[in-house]
Amino acid sequence: MPDLRKLSLIFKREYLTRLRSKTFIISTILVPLAFILIISIPIGIQLLSSGSHKTIAIVDQTGTIYPRLKKINADRYKDFSEFSDQKLRDMVMQGKIDGYIRFTGNMINGKSTPELIYSGGGGLSFLNNVKGDIREAVRDERIERAKISPEIRNIFEENINLATRKLTKEGKEEEANAAFYSAFGTIMAFIIYIAMFSYGAIIMRGVMEEKTNRIVEVITSSVKPFELLIGKVLGVGALGLSQFLIWIGATIGLLAGISPIATMILGPEMLQNMAGSQATARQVPALQVPSVDPIIWVYLVLYFLLGYLIYSSLFAAVGAAVDSESETQQLVFPITIPIIISIMLMPQVANAPDSTLAVVSSLIPLFSPILMVARIPITDVPFWQIGLSFLLMAGTFAGLMALSAKIYRVGILMYGKKASFKEIIKWVRYR
Amino acid sequence: MAIIDLEHVKKSFGNTNAVNDVSFSVNHGRIFGLLGPNGAGKTTTIRMINDILVPDSGHITIKGQLVGPKTQRYIGYMPEERGLYKKMRVGEQLLYLSQLKGLTYGEAKKSIKYWLDRFDAGDWYSKEINELSKGMSQKVQFIATIAHDPDIYIFDEPFSGLDPINSEMLKEIIIELRNKGKTILFSTHRMEQVEQMCDDLCLFNKGKAVLKGELRDIKRSYGKNTINMEFRGDAQFLDQLEDVRINNRSTNFAEIRVLNGQDEQQILRKALDHVQIHKFEFVEPSLTEIFISVVGEDNINPKELA
Repeated sequence: MPDLRKLSLIFKREYLTRLRSKTFIISTILVPLAFILIISIPIGIQLLSSGSHKTIAIVDQTGTIYPRLKKINADRYKDFSEFSDQKLRDMVMQGKIDGYIRFTGNMINGKSTPELIYSGGGGLSFLNNVKGDIREAVRDERIERAKISPEIRNIFEENINLATRKLTKEGKEEEANAAFYSAFGTIMAFIIYIAMFSYGAIIMRGVMEEKTNRIVEVITSSVKPFELLIGKVLGVGALGLSQFLIWIGATIGLLAGISPIATMILGPEMLQNMAGSQATARQVPALQVPSVDPIIWVYLVLYFLLGYLIYSSLFAAVGAAVDSESETQQLVFPITIPIIISIMLMPQVANAPDSTLAVVSSLIPLFSPILMVARIPITDVPFWQIGLSFLLMAGTFAGLMALSAKIYRVGILMYGKKASFKEIIKWVRYR
Repeated sequence: MAIIDLEHVKKSFGNTNAVNDVSFSVNHGRIFGLLGPNGAGKTTTIRMINDILVPDSGHITIKGQLVGPKTQRYIGYMPEERGLYKKMRVGEQLLYLSQLKGLTYGEAKKSIKYWLDRFDAGDWYSKEINELSKGMSQKVQFIATIAHDPDIYIFDEPFSGLDPINSEMLKEIIIELRNKGKTILFSTHRMEQVEQMCDDLCLFNKGKAVLKGELRDIKRSYGKNTINMEFRGDAQFLDQLEDVRINNRSTNFAEIRVLNGQDEQQILRKALDHVQIHKFEFVEPSLTEIFISVVGEDNINPKELA
């Protein structure tokens, strides 16, 4: 049984000296900022690119296509019917317009294909947009000319959308926002991934610092190496917990505050544009932020803690085995493999969170912290899976900790000996 | 009264027998020297006494109790490789270390203040170790060892890395502690330090205790079979002497151990042929000589092995 008084002294030192450190304060602030930046880059790009303005000259010999295109996008399509081909070519080359299309009657019959002559800019999404607009205009015109019954015409004109509502176990219907939850799960899994590496590294450096400073021998003349190890792992774990609670609190606050703030800054029209046709249909006045079930935060913290415990025991063993930072590479590599594999599996798991692959891989204790956290917000993970993964992780932690403690006990007193895997296995066998 | 007692202690790492069936006891109020070359097993033994390592077999008792968390409190230990947390403040660090040794916060604070003042270091309390010079951090290290006022002090190679002034100061402190009734055990590979300070000693070689006892008795038992000679002239004649071992040789001095019952007068005669003799004296052998004779060419004196 560890001596609780000594354990709490060690715990306090490990926790408090780090809590007060600049590194902790800075990382607590910078990591969320970095995430906001990473998330806002694609959104920003989308906003900027949709704002990019291109002009396409339309030479309309049919007299019916241009009015339709004008209805679809008056900014983009301009009537240049009286211009000659040569004049339009010059204008494209001079950059006055971005391209032009000549419409003839044959094109409505489908006997020939409209051709866009353009400067080559704008990328694929621009071309797809133009293609869609033309298709719509030509199709509508052909329906018009075909003199078909209004019923059938209605069928064509109808935009069919899939609205989704998620029915919860409690029988409540909720707005389902798969994209949001998928992104949410991915971000949380990434946070766990980063946290496990960083907190693992903190443990490793802490152990190494004590070893290279030679203070470890003074301390082990007062406490058992195992007590020192446990106190350190718990102290740094508490630090991680503090950081997560700060982040979660800030996120909850932000999610609650984002809707009014965004509405205030952007104005309702802009939000409607962003939300697209769905929003217009229902006249949503503010940005809708899907709610996050509080239990998800609890799971996030629990998976972080268990994942941290598992990996920190491994990182501690590495810290004890080496004499300098440069020697850690070779030994850290095998630890990173399961973390990397789980990150590689994550997209698959997020796409099909109920597949056999997702279920099995997220139950593997070394993968659970990342993959379960990715699954939970996306799908309703049965409780037995969550419970089982906790049990498996706890068991894995106990086993790895016992192993690590043996390596640690010997390693911290081994100076100037290059620790190969063979050597470390030998340490485990020492009495 | 034996305050530290080792009985048939063994410890091996893989195929290396670091400590091989060692028994000795340290008596209360004495300065006990563990000596031997590097790699002889001194540090492993000291770590076992401190309950940092666990013996494979045998028993270690301190004040009659088997070593464990409780006996760790009786000991102030300064390892050979010294170190402190670089980024912690002196006061916090000492508080932490002495609380780990069992002092309450209040006791620790009082004791630390006393010792810092005594070392003229009262204003170091909120300095980081980083900011201290090597000599200063050695003092902090020493306070960390003694702040909980233990009965037993264990120093592993305490003089290595110390400058002559700090070295002298440590010597004085060790003797002062002994005079206060504390027990001191220290290890060294430098024999002359043992000769100057120790009451008792245990000589280690290759994991075994090859010689132990009271320093004076050990020296006496070797008899006055060593010649200290001072001379002037060409020292080359020393090389021609047979059946002797010459330690501590310099241009005008030689410590000559006479082997195989050779006539010492013969050596004097030979020396007179070559150099001018200033001094020719029979003395007890130095510890270095004893060490060499124990582990080297001469066989171990059976009387000294229990």
